[in-house]
Amino acid sequence: MSNTNYSWKNNRSLFPEADETGKLVVDLDSQKYIKVWQGPNHPGVTGNMSLELTVSGDEVVEAKTHVGYLHRGFEKLFERRRYIQCFPTCIRMCVPEPDTNEYNLARGTELLGGIEVPEMANWLRMIALEMARLQVLLRMVPGQAGTMGLGLPSQWGLYYRELILDRFEELTGGRIYHMYILPGGVRGLLPAGFKKRLEENLVKIESFMKDVDRVIYANTVFKKRTKGIGIIPADWIDPYGVTGPVARAAGYERDVRKDYPYLYYDQLDFGVNVEHESDVFARFLVRRKDVDTTIDLLRQIMSKMPDKGDIKAETPNVLHWKIPRGETLVRCESSRGEYIFYLVADGSMYPRRINLRGPSYAHAVTLLEKLLINANISDVSSIMVSLATCPPEIER
Amino acid sequence: MKEIIDHLKKRFPVYEIGEGPNGVILMSVEAAKLVPMLTSLKTNHGYGILVILSAVDWLEDCKFQLTYIINNPDEKRDLGIRVFIKREDAEMESIHSLWEHAATFQREIKEMFGINFPGSPRVDEPFLLEGWDNLPPMRRDFDTKQYSEDTYFPRPGRETNDPAEYMKQKLYPDE
Amino acid sequence: MSLKDTFSPFSAWRKVFEKPVTIKDPISERPGADRYRGFHKNDITSCIGCGTCETICENEAIDMVPVEGVETKDGDSGLRPRVDYGRCCWCGLCVDICTTGSLSLTNAYTWVEEDPEKYRYTPGVDEKPWDNEEKGWKKPEPNYEFYNLNRVTMEHLHPEERSDSFVEMVKGYSKEQAEKEADRCVECGICTATCPAHMGIPEYIKAIRNDDLEEGLRILYDTNPLPEICGRICTHKCETVCTLGQRGEALSIRWLKRYIADQNPSEKYKKILNSGFLKKNGKKIAIIGSGPSGLSAAHYLALMGYTCTIFEKLAKAGGMMRFGIPEYRLPYDQIDKDISYIESLGVDIKYNTTVGVDITLEELGEKHDAVFSGTGLHLGRSTRIEGSDHKNVYQSIDLLRDITLGKEVPLTEDIIVIGGGNVAMDITRSLARLQKQKYGKAGIIATSLETEDKMPADREEVLEAREEDATVNPGWAPQRIEIENDKIKGLHVAQCYSLFDDEGKFNPQCNMDNLQFFEGSMVVESIGQGMDLSYLSEDLKHELEIDKRGRIKVNENFQSGLPWLFLGGDIIQGPDVIHGIANGHKAAKGIDEFLFEKQKDTPKT
Repeated sequence: MSNTNYSWKNNRSLFPEADETGKLVVDLDSQKYIKVWQGPNHPGVTGNMSLELTVSGDEVVEAKTHVGYLHRGFEKLFERRRYIQCFPTCIRMCVPEPDTNEYNLARGTELLGGIEVPEMANWLRMIALEMARLQVLLRMVPGQAGTMGLGLPSQWGLYYRELILDRFEELTGGRIYHMYILPGGVRGLLPAGFKKRLEENLVKIESFMKDVDRVIYANTVFKKRTKGIGIIPADWIDPYGVTGPVARAAGYERDVRKDYPYLYYDQLDFGVNVEHESDVFARFLVRRKDVDTTIDLLRQIMSKMPDKGDIKAETPNVLHWKIPRGETLVRCESSRGEYIFYLVADGSMYPRRINLRGPSYAHAVTLLEKLLINANISDVSSIMVSLATCPPEIER
Repeated sequence: MKEIIDHLKKRFPVYEIGEGPNGVILMSVEAAKLVPMLTSLKTNHGYGILVILSAVDWLEDCKFQLTYIINNPDEKRDLGIRVFIKREDAEMESIHSLWEHAATFQREIKEMFGINFPGSPRVDEPFLLEGWDNLPPMRRDFDTKQYSEDTYFPRPGRETNDPAEYMKQKLYPDE
Repeated sequence: MSLKDTFSPFSAWRKVFEKPVTIKDPISERPGADRYRGFHKNDITSCIGCGTCETICENEAIDMVPVEGVETKDGDSGLRPRVDYGRCCWCGLCVDICTTGSLSLTNAYTWVEEDPEKYRYTPGVDEKPWDNEEKGWKKPEPNYEFYNLNRVTMEHLHPEERSDSFVEMVKGYSKEQAEKEADRCVECGICTATCPAHMGIPEYIKAIRNDDLEEGLRILYDTNPLPEICGRICTHKCETVCTLGQRGEALSIRWLKRYIADQNPSEKYKKILNSGFLKKNGKKIAIIGSGPSGLSAAHYLALMGYTCTIFEKLAKAGGMMRFGIPEYRLPYDQIDKDISYIESLGVDIKYNTTVGVDITLEELGEKHDAVFSGTGLHLGRSTRIEGSDHKNVYQSIDLLRDITLGKEVPLTEDIIVIGGGNVAMDITRSLARLQKQKYGKAGIIATSLETEDKMPADREEVLEAREEDATVNPGWAPQRIEIENDKIKGLHVAQCYSLFDDEGKFNPQCNMDNLQFFEGSMVVESIGQGMDLSYLSEDLKHELEIDKRGRIKVNENFQSGLPWLFLGGDIIQGPDVIHGIANGHKAAKGIDEFLFEKQKDTPKT
């Protein structure tokens, strides 16, 4: 709310002056400013990441992000792993939604290795990817309210997420790390009765979303604390590399599933959810609508997919599968935005480079630092969560 | 697409133009011409998004490859531009003035590969590795396994046998 | 913002009246899903310890350790996987690639232990509560494989193309086929122990994958100086234990070996194998017989610097490989390729020299520092049934030799072959070819004591013989040869129902009510071969230890009771090329050791 009173451009006198290099001169001894560390462990910070905030009163005047608490060097580890061995490792690059990693790695390897994936496997991949999206959204949509003390709905959301995780356990053998989509195909057909049980879950989730609407969407407090907060001007979208729901909340009709169709998304009927206010509330709304879209997509996939088919293409022996020299870019739409792998193969059994560029890489470093300036310190976590910050994909 | 390539061919010394497996056009250009080329693509051809800036270490050729993949959101097309720079005292012109978030990529590459981008904001600040005093870890001559063996201690009680070697010991040790 | 927005959130209170969704005792009330990836389980009786799980584990969580009660034997390393749960990430790749299908994950959720060391355990050996749990992660079905279960088919000449000619019938792999076949190997190395020569099989297959055939040839020659020959007619015991054979078809190790040898031109051998210059040590070795064991001994002795002379009875080198195996299986130019390389190392072959006739063994012993004898089994055995002394009853081994020598072979339009081994098939198929050339059709019947499923011949030999219009009718015991007017009319046989008695002794039993008569005007006996040791004088025989079956006793270095006399090959270990090669190699090392010790003991003059 405070940013309606002051602005970075017009009220410069309230903020620290920049020196000739453009660096802000924050004189902490002046007692005008306090340095506050939010994170690495903080209920309002997603994952382990810390924000170094310089505040004047409850106004943030300077923000610096610090990552590195989760750096596990996966991109380095890939250098020593066969392509098939990268697959259980790469999923850890984003904990809430590991399937996009699996898909990108598998797709990249298949593209470079010239593997054609059977139709059934592609449908199953779509099921897994959409279930993963739904599962994240069930955490994120009510979770947005959690950042302002409305913890109850996010607890509810966790239960409904567990229902999807149950289905994942049934389909893939794992709840969080599914390790389902591997280079060449997937690791199993749908178990008997799976569609029925998923449909039951979807019905439950739909009725839960009505609760969410009642408790969060139609909520004066929530609206007051999200509308007009964390506005990303539309002309920032491209220079900052903003994608996904955050870009859609700014009026950009962008969705990898539509723009660069992969798998069989072009055979499905769905729209891109767009809002124009580009504030935290708009981003919440986009995600809220995405839940409905995802549920609808899951139903479409279940009705369109074949019952039987091969789940894996014939690949060379995975123990010495050499991928010919080449490089490629694979992208897919994760719940947070465009999820990109850049793969370079050098003709050996081991990848030369697999580089991940997740949406948080753009959202949560440069953009977040800029967005937090002028924000009220109590809105920091709200903004951060609305950008769907996921530190592990920044650090890998 | 062809027009742009033809146009680029005329104006810039591009080479190794090829199409990647999923339709991404990739080309290489001399390092000195990269920034003018990216600027031209951004301002005149609608390539307004920097998708990724990535570095690859070709240790055996003593070269670093920097890949800039840019995207035209209206035409929904990607263009990959490769630059090869020498491995010693590697340095590359910064593109943070074209894309704000390029600074993050450059900061990470500086840390992970040791490629400097003079003028890029906060490029000298550690990104992920505070207090790191070894080789930039993503360089291929940095041996992760060796590092972990030197730094940590192995769990006692682990030993393994190669099946062929073990069978030789058991069945025909003298041959 | 409306009034509704103020009151609507209070609807959350409704949840107070709803049943809680949490489960009190999740472990017992809600078991893991059928596919859940829980703790490891291993069926150690079907596991063969190939270590492929260890290879694929990206976390290095698996060790291969010896296990009490599991013996190391052919086709089983005796090792079993031990999992370190400090590193395991439960991806289940070890299960998916398991070559035997013995490894699986159970759907057990929890395991609590105070001692962290306990989390390193050998599934199937260390007892765990989930050992009998049926549910859990298993290799997905169907058509889900990490390596190809099926062989790359080897192309053969069609029966109509080959049945009247001695052109090699197996075409050999192309580069593409060989690389595809080599790709199937999981590099476990279980085969190496079973190969009598202990060849570096995974290594040379890797060389094929890397398209480094020169390296492949070097690996072959480390243990086997006859790769062209072995690549065609080896008994490939390695393939019988191949890990891939557990769930699919074994790797075509033999054809891959042939591929390496075929692709390297003979003129480059010396350069590739770096044998251009060999330092001579001045010692001389005599080798009797130029069969596989003799050639192998000569090769390795020559590399060690010995001057070797091979004494060969016939006009060509190769022994049984040339004179026993028909040309369509092993073309002569390929034998020449291997032998001429060995000759190029300075090995001298004296043809048409029969030891015991042209030169005595004693003389050889005196003139040389040591003697290696690999004279093989060249005497045919007779059935000794009535009529088998007729002039038109032949020994297969003699006929095969004559075919190779280009001599006129006796031939009629209807021939009976007695015997069910590979030699019997060789003579059957050779004679059938000759019949086709001469009469335009084959008229040959092969019969054996053993029934179809117990025939010692390779299965494909039998099938191919039938494709070439020969009749194979097994399960009959020959009774007598019917002779009329001094001409053979045919063979009387009785059904044979048992070969061995309760003590395991050879004692065929016949059903005299089920008799049959095979018509034919010529009979070939092919029921096994014996050795001809006539070159050993009585004095020498006295000094050698000979067992009940007539075999000379040798020590592990193939050294006989006479320290200077080494023996190997078929006369020691039965008919098999690869054993002969291994014997020759080992005897060469033994000779080197013996002469080195002898030199140490002799005072310098």
